[in-house]
Formats: sequence, C-alpha cells, structure tokens
Amino acid sequence: MSKRNLFLLLAMILIFSLILAACQTAPPPDPDTPGDVVAPQEPVVDDDPVDDVVIEPEPETPGARKVATFIWTQEFDNLNPLYTNMWFSSITQQIWNASAWNFDIDNNPNPVLVTEIPSLENGGISEDGRTITITLRDDIVWSDNSPITSADFVFTYEMVTSPSNIVTTSYPYSLIEDISAPDAQTVVTVFEEPFVPWAASLWQFVLPEHVLRPVFDADGSIDTADWNLAPTVSAGPFVFAEWESGSYTRFVRNENFYDEPAKIDEVFFRFVPDDASQVAALRTGDGDLGTFISTADIPTLEAAGVEVFAVVSGYDEGWFLYFGEEAHPALADVRVRQAIALCFDRQSINRDLLLGLTEPAVTFWDNTPYANPNLSAWPYDPAAGMALLDEAGWVDEDGNGIREKDGIELTLIHGTTAREIRQDTQAVAQQNLAECGIRLDTLSYAPDIYFQSYGGGGPLPTGELDIGQFSSTEAFPDPDTSRWLCSEIPSDEYPDGINDQKICDEELDALFRLQSTQIDFEERQQTLWQIGEIMYENVYWLGVWQDLDTWAVSSRLSNVNISGASPFYSIAEWDIIE
Amino acid sequence: MTRYIIRRILQSIPLLFIISLILFLLLNNIGDPLTMMGGRNPTRPDDRARLARQLGLDKPVTTQYLYWLIGNDWTMIDVDGDGIPDIPGERLGVLRGDFGTSIVTRGKPVSEIIWDRIPNTLLLMVPAQIFILLFGVIVGVYSALRQYSWVDNAVTTLSFVGFSMPIFLIALLSIYFFSVLFQRWGLPNLPANGMFDPRVGKTAGQVAKHMILPLFSIAFIDIARYSRYVRSAMLEVMSQDYIRTAKAKGLKRYYIIFIHAMRNALLPIVTLVGLDLPFLLAGAVVTERIFAWPGMGRLFLDHLQRADGPVVMGIVMILAVFVIFSQILTDIAYAALDPRIRY
Repeated sequence: MSKRNLFLLLAMILIFSLILAACQTAPPPDPDTPGDVVAPQEPVVDDDPVDDVVIEPEPETPGARKVATFIWTQEFDNLNPLYTNMWFSSITQQIWNASAWNFDIDNNPNPVLVTEIPSLENGGISEDGRTITITLRDDIVWSDNSPITSADFVFTYEMVTSPSNIVTTSYPYSLIEDISAPDAQTVVTVFEEPFVPWAASLWQFVLPEHVLRPVFDADGSIDTADWNLAPTVSAGPFVFAEWESGSYTRFVRNENFYDEPAKIDEVFFRFVPDDASQVAALRTGDGDLGTFISTADIPTLEAAGVEVFAVVSGYDEGWFLYFGEEAHPALADVRVRQAIALCFDRQSINRDLLLGLTEPAVTFWDNTPYANPNLSAWPYDPAAGMALLDEAGWVDEDGNGIREKDGIELTLIHGTTAREIRQDTQAVAQQNLAECGIRLDTLSYAPDIYFQSYGGGGPLPTGELDIGQFSSTEAFPDPDTSRWLCSEIPSDEYPDGINDQKICDEELDALFRLQSTQIDFEERQQTLWQIGEIMYENVYWLGVWQDLDTWAVSSRLSNVNISGASPFYSIAEWDIIE
Repeated sequence: MTRYIIRRILQSIPLLFIISLILFLLLNNIGDPLTMMGGRNPTRPDDRARLARQLGLDKPVTTQYLYWLIGNDWTMIDVDGDGIPDIPGERLGVLRGDFGTSIVTRGKPVSEIIWDRIPNTLLLMVPAQIFILLFGVIVGVYSALRQYSWVDNAVTTLSFVGFSMPIFLIALLSIYFFSVLFQRWGLPNLPANGMFDPRVGKTAGQVAKHMILPLFSIAFIDIARYSRYVRSAMLEVMSQDYIRTAKAKGLKRYYIIFIHAMRNALLPIVTLVGLDLPFLLAGAVVTERIFAWPGMGRLFLDHLQRADGPVVMGIVMILAVFVIFSQILTDIAYAALDPRIRY
C-alpha cells in the first residue's frame, strides 16, 4: 500500500465519521413565539436519520428563548414510568407527565388531575380502607388535546399488571382486587386489604390509552413502544421534544396544558456523569440546576452565586443493627446498643462533614408528621456510654484498648456502600467507638452487591455485618414499611424477606401491622410515634443524619420551589431572569 | 497477501467465539441488573422473581449464552410464570445479527444503542488521532534532529509531564483553567461539557467549540507518547550507515530526512497506530465521562455500571472484531512500508 493510499484511507475514515456525525438527529424547529401551538413531536427514533441535518446556521438572536439547563449525573433509562424506578427518571415525570396528585414543599398531597385528595370525609376512602375513589377534573387534556379520562387510568392498571409487559415494579397495582370506571371522571379502586400508603404510590403516573392501546393490541406488549423513549403525548406543563442518547433530552412547553402554561420555553437535560464536571458547569453558568451535590462542593458553588437547597426526600440515614444468629453477642444487650449511640459523635458528622445542612436523625421518619416530637437525638456522651458498657460486663481486661466479655472481644463489623460521605462516617465512627473500647472494622461495597437480598448473598441479611448503614425511600412520604415485621425475616425457605436485620420484637411487629391498617391520620400518627419510641429506646435503628437531597440552583432561575417527594411539583411557575 | 488475509480472518472466528464465551461468563459475575432496577429501594422480591423470568435471567448461564449466540426462536418461553411455556422466543442471536435488547432501557435493540454513539465517538477520536499523529511525528522528528538543544530539552520535559499525568487530571485541570478561571478573569471561556449550548443549538461552530477541551485532553498524553517513540526511532535511523552515505553523497538534508530517514523511522509507529486504531471505536472512557461527550466509552461505562449484559457484550464484541481487523490492517501496512516483509 503506497503512502498515497494510506492518506486516502485516513481521509475516508475522517469523512465517514463526519457523515455519521451528521446522521445524528437535529433539534426540531422551535416554536417562534410563545403563543404558537406546538404540534405533537415525532419520536426521536427516526427511520431515515440521513435526512436529518445537524449543521444549522447560528440563530440570529441566541438566548431569546427561555431555556433552563438541568445537569443530571445519570441519564434516563426509560421515560415510561412502567419501565423505570430510576430516581432521575421518575422525578422528571412531573415535568412532562402528570400524576393524580403530587406533593408540595411540605410533602403534603396536592391535587393535580383530581378534584380533591380522597379522604374519609369526602368519601374518597371507604370506611374499611380498601376502596379508593378518585374524581377527575373535567378540563384535563393530553398534549394532543385528547381528553384525559378514567379509561386512561384503567388502561394504566392493565398495562402494569399485564404479564406480557416487563415492568419494573407492579406495586401497588398487584394488590388491587378490582378496578372500575363508572363514568369518564371516576375511578374506583378496590384493594384486597386496607391499603394505607396509597397516596405515595397510587396513580403517580397515567398512560395515554389512545396512544398505547393500539401498540399493545398489535404487539401484545408495550415494551418496545416508541412512546417509552419518546413520549410525545403527555399531560404535564412540558412535552417531550427530543432525546439524544448519552447527551441530552429536551422538553418544550406544552401549549395545550390544561392549567396555567409554563413560563419557561424549554427544559434541557444535559447528562454529565462526572461530579466535578457538573460543578464546573454550574459555576460557569452552563447549567442552571443540578442535584446530588457533594457537601464539599457547596461552599465553592455558593461563592459562585449558586444557591443550594436541601430538601427532605426520604427516610433517614441510619445504622441497622443485626440481630440474627451470627450477630455479635454484645448486640443482644440493649445497654451495649445504647452505649454505641452515646459513643458515636453524630453531631460532629452533621456539623463538619455535612456542613450543618442536617441534624442527627432521631426517628426513621424525621421531618414528617410521623416523627415522635418527644424524642431527641442520643447525645454524644462517651463517659455515659463507657459506664453502660462496664455495667453490661464488657471491660478491657487485657489492656489492649478493646473491651471483652467471656473471652469475646467487642469488635463489630460495619458495612456500607462506597459513597464518599459514608466512608468518611465510617472513619469518624471507628475513632469514636475506639475511644469507648469498641473496635469497629469497616467494609464498603458496590451498591448492587450491598443491597442484595438474603437469597442473593447480601452482606447484611446473611450476617456478614453487625451494622449496616444506608437510607431508603420505600413509600416516602408515607411511613409504611414492612422492614421490621417478624414475617419478613429472610431464611433459606424465604430468601426474599426484607427484614435484613432479622429483628423480631412482637410489640413492634404488632404496631407496624396496626399502622398499615389505620385510615385515620391521627390514630396512625400515634401508633407511629409509639413505634418511634420503641425503636429509639431499644436502639434497633440508630439515625445518623436526616436524609436530604441537595439542589444547586443558578441565579438565572426564579420562583423555584422544590419538594422532596415531587421536586418539580411547581415547575410551571419557575421562570428565568436574564 | 490475499491468502494471508483470508487465513487471518478464518483464524479469528474461533478466537471471537472464545472471547465471547469468556466475556459472557465474566459479565454474569460482575453485577446484578435487577438490584439496580429498584432505584432508591431494593427491588421488591416479587418483582425480582418476575423480572428474572421475563428477562431470562433465571436460566442457567449456559442457556443464557446459547440464547445470546443462536437466539431462542426455536423454543417456547414462559411469560406468566406458571411453569408452562406460552409463546415462542423472538431472539435471533448474535450469529444472525441480533445482539438482543438492553436490560436498562428495556426493549431498545443493542445495535441501535451502539449505532447512536458511534458517530460521536468517531467525531472526537478521528481528529484526535490525526492530531496525535501529526504533532507526535513533527515534535518527535524535530526533537531528534535538534538533539540536546533547548527545544529538545523542553519537549522532553513536556513529554514526561504528559506521560506522568493521568488523563482525568488533565481533563479536570483544563476545565478549571479554560472554563472556570477564564470566565472569572473575563476572558472568552470554553464550555465545560456537552456538545453544544442549548440556547444556541447544535451548530457546527458549537460542536467544534465543545470539542476543543476533550480533544486537547486526549491528544496531550498521546502526542507525548508518540513524540518519544518517533524521536527515539529517528535518532537510531539517523546514525545508520546509509544515512551517513547519503550525507557523504551530498544529498539535500530534507531529502535525507523525509525520504530515507522518516520512512524507516515510522515503521515502529505503524505498530502504535495499529494498537490505537480500535480506540477510534472504543472511545475515551474517562474523557467522555468528564466532558459528557456521548460516545462509546461512556456508553460502555454507563451500561457496565448497571450490569446491562447485552449492551456490554455488544460493545465488547464489536471492539474485538475491530481489534482483529486493525491488526490485519497493520500487517498490510508493514508490507507496504517495508519491502523486506512478505506474507
């Protein structure tokens, strides 16, 4: 091969790459004026990408449209809520899709598609707590102007529970005994048993039957429906415009939105997986909003004029003590558990590592009405902790700095995920507990290994650890969880049980079962306060920090309100100040 | 030559088979895609069981490999979990060009996912490779011809800086300097990440502007690497007898350098280029991640993190084919450049 041929080969590779680059889909034309009606966009997956043109002339007036750029560290896996539990995708639903209700800044339910939140008083919840009846507004429409009716809700239920759809979770729809739509505005859902956490998990999305029914009828499944990756018909203040894999997703204002139209023209999600790069983009103004900001980056961002919010978004981060057969014998003694609480300086972790954004968690449900207000965090009091250990018979007889009893050293194994703040916490706890004569060996895991069930060999449920540390959302903002039920203790016969701690306190078990049937808010609140007290006194779970999400918002964005359960509940009211 | 190429291609078939088998077994042990599906919560047990059945992950690994290789359209599958096969499988298998569908995006064909990213990767990597070759050769040759001059010393120092810096550090430093600090100093700054500014649109100018920093980060280290190889090879060639003879015959300096010395000095570079060719498709994992460039490297990492076996296998197998292809290409280039080599 001559040099000329080599040169030609190189030139051809370059030309080929440029041609391929040009095959990428181009942004669809933007509406010229805010008042123009936007026709439903075609899906981004096109048949003939070569026809698309990527190289466009520079617009004459760049920046004239109000475009908000959100920096997401993870790309959506799917936009159809049936096929994703990914947080970054789920919270985006509030921008383009609509739920029957969402949650305001105080995490209280707020009607969206319904006329009012179901309750015992308005008849939306039956006396036995099994039937939930919702009444839809009569003015709600999809972005293509088709009415949203009860048929869409029934269709959503059918799709979630259809065995031919590979949905991520069928909860809570799999618990429904019967569903009916007596008229276009009414949906009646009957559960097999009283279902209290309905507000947090039911009708958080609805699918357009007129778009997806034909796909289901033709293919027998909606797994591969174009709508899943390009939901061009939706019900939120914005409507999907384009998704370029690995790069960005655009949503433009829904001009047919049944409520007050959004003030921003376009929300542009840029996928930036690297944290440092995300922070740089926020500092330079290339991004207007980011989340999961490391506390170490907060001062830098604030110095650059970026405002940082912290919102309650789930159950609190805490230590889950293990009580299975393989557990360290010291953990069976409540005095030792209380000593651990007293010797662990959680105040300094919140103050120094989390920059005072949070406080030590007292109950599993801090910052919600279900947190017992009469409790306060265990103080950092190593002297009191050591006295309790002495009382329990754990003393350092051989002078090696570690307490022992009956020849067994007080060495505990703590494991958590490899998240930086958790590893920093391990280091602090190790030092704190060592001062009280407790040795803490620490381990960290990849999340997919750490959160495995007993059957999957997860380190906590299999007894590899004495203490696990994590937070979860479960049914947030509802407090319901079956994590502490005796019947959920995993075993070889029941490997999927979720009581990873293998704890069985009959009083606690009875109270958890009771709260899951209590329709009356105040009665349920009292039960959960009682639960909180038992867990606190017995140190079955030790709160480390209140689970907060941090959001960085540029000064370009105004009127921003973010809630923990529905971060974008008021996105239509957000504006941009140039 | 033709027989040689055919022989090499035939040899690559069992090799690819072995690679696929080893990778499939490894991938089955690196993570659990179902655990990650729960989002912020662990996947519910009943959902886990259902998903494993629906996605075929409850089958023995050998069966999963067989389905991946030859498809499952010859057998019936159980959809509702009652133990009774309901419908025929739909997968055709890799041997019939079906890489399957992504577990993460659910239902999107792997080939489509990969194809979406290839143009972006080539757009970044081809110019980067051209820059690397061009500047690596120029700097290396110049440095060799001016051995121990201040230019050579400066180039040597810079090369070692380039060698010893990890790419993520160069990338982050370049963002901090050209993006953050330039903006603070009131200078025109370069964008920190992405392919274009959404307020302007995806124009040629925007894409070019957003390419500068990732291109610089990729090229910086490799220019240092290439220039050292070229310098060393040129120094060796320039001390050969035939170069001395050419000088004694009074040949012009540029003729000696470009016709006699460089052609021989560049032979080792062909090996380097041959080894680097697969990266044109593989992309730059770290650079693409930091600069949010939607290429193959990031695709691989994103799907590996979520244990998306079909996508990861698809990428790796395409790269394996490209590695074999680039090695054949390298051998052809050897023969073209060195008349002593015959196959």
